Amino acid sequence: MKRVVKLRVNGLEYEVALEPRRTLAETLRYDLGLTGTKIGCRIGDCGACTVLLDGVPSFSCLVLAVEAEGREILTIEGVADGGRLHPVQQSFVEVGAIQCGFCTPGMVLTALALLKDNPDPTDAQIRRAISGNLCRCTGYQKIIEAIKDAARRMREKQGVL
Amino acid sequence: MRLPRFDYYSPNSLPEALTWLTEHRDPGIKILAGGTDLLVDIRGKVIPDGHRPRCQQHRRGPWSARAAAVEPVNCLMALSRVPELRGISLDGSRLRIGAMTTIAELERSPVIRELLTGLSDGAAQLGSPLVRNRGSYGGNLCNARPAADTAIPTLSLAGKLVLVSSRGERIVDHGDFVTAPGATVLESDEILKEVVFDIPDERRGSGYIKLANRKSLEISMVGAAAALTFEPAESGAGRRSGERGNIVREARIALGAVAPKPLLTAEAGEYLKGRKFDPDSAAEAARIAADTARPITDHRGSAGYRKMMVEVLVRRVLNLCRDRALTGVAREVNV
Ligand SMILES: Cc1cc2nc3c(=O)[nH]c(=O)nc-3n(C[C@H](O)[C@H](O)[C@H](O)COP(=O)(O)OP(=O)(O)OC[C@H]3O[C@@H](n4cnc5c(N)ncnc54)[C@H](O)[C@@H]3O)c2cc1C
Repeated sequence: MKRVVKLRVNGLEYEVALEPRRTLAETLRYDLGLTGTKIGCRIGDCGACTVLLDGVPSFSCLVLAVEAEGREILTIEGVADGGRLHPVQQSFVEVGAIQCGFCTPGMVLTALALLKDNPDPTDAQIRRAISGNLCRCTGYQKIIEAIKDAARRMREKQGVL
Repeated sequence: MRLPRFDYYSPNSLPEALTWLTEHRDPGIKILAGGTDLLVDIRGKVIPDGHRPRCQQHRRGPWSARAAAVEPVNCLMALSRVPELRGISLDGSRLRIGAMTTIAELERSPVIRELLTGLSDGAAQLGSPLVRNRGSYGGNLCNARPAADTAIPTLSLAGKLVLVSSRGERIVDHGDFVTAPGATVLESDEILKEVVFDIPDERRGSGYIKLANRKSLEISMVGAAAALTFEPAESGAGRRSGERGNIVREARIALGAVAPKPLLTAEAGEYLKGRKFDPDSAAEAARIAADTARPITDHRGSAGYRKMMVEVLVRRVLNLCRDRALTGVAREVNV
């Protein structure tokens, strides 16, 4: 029943033997040990398992790992540059957009994709972009501020992404 | 909690997919598009009974089947690597949309915004960005829910579904496609290939308004879609009085979440046909539409409230269509 699947995660090639029913979220966490990707609701409602598939935010709980073959997968572990946080991460820390932290990996990845498309988003555009990522701590305000702050930083030293 | 065990087959072309389906006629086979409905359904109950909404009637709700048991699945055939099912193309006055086009692609397409504005509205309000990035147009139609946000505008815009199998191709109006909640005329060896729309010569305005408890991640309580075409404005007297350009040539009004399947309110459309469009005729058409609605009471809203809202939403969407037919959508801001 298991088959060997080649996955490209954070720029690295992995070969994993897995059953077709294995979701991408399960594979990332349990086969590859990349536990930054969180599993919350398992039904696409919470966004905690968000990863980027070819640069596009996607939940990984409703994607079969076999379906991710041939795609470029980015998880939260691939966002920082070695020990240096990405400006989005740095802003989340400094602005206080992280409380329990469970939604943070998904929020950061969603923000990253937004800022790549739109380097200077309005509040309304930010709210819409993160509307599939639930946060039960912050009330979202600090997250929105952090994304605006990150946008400013990234515009200042262009070419970071 | 893991998904149940199943096999997986991923064809690389449409003929390959169709041959395989013909050779494996087994009710345990399911077609996998984006999986945003299917994988939720086969995962089984995530929410224990005790946590369900308290309203007693919620089980009869249009989407309650989601929590109910589905037939066992033993193999998924994935469409993700079938190139024939992708893409949006305009060929003369026909616009075709491949079944595997994502909801996000619909939402962002300038051609769809311009020519099928109601469908663009529906796509922009479905689920959340994560759902739209993954879910497909074909999946939303084949899942056949009465509230499906792209199905209601598709019905109002007279979309025709192209169903293919190794036996050949057939074309079905969206109005004849859904037979009951979650059920369609698709045979076990058939795939929805694409949806085709005829684009009229006259200016057409279309729109979709969704009433839901919040702006994202919510299934609609009532959805109203309409498409209006007008008689061409003539030169001379008619033009000065604005009469001709204000006569409705065709009106199609479709409702979501107020009947077991997407509902075309032919009576309301008939009423407007050939009539002058003004606040009174729009209000009367909306009253007729509300009469045809057969909503149920569930945790999203009561039947009575839904019926009242049909009238309000139809009136609003008709006026929106009128404005769009007059001025186009180019100047509208789409956040
Ligand atoms: C969190 C969440 C929120 C949602 N919110 C909304 C919402 O607001 N509004 C709304 O309308 N929907 C909503 N949905 C439902 C779902 O996202 C949409 O219906 C989506 O468009 C389904 O597409 P899919 O590609 O994921 O379909 P799948 O899940 O892959 O397939 C759905 C069904 O269609 C069949 N199928 C798919 N494609 C074909 C084809 N080409 N030929 C034949 N059969 C086919 C499958 O076999 C299956 O039975 C939501 C889902 C989630 C998880």
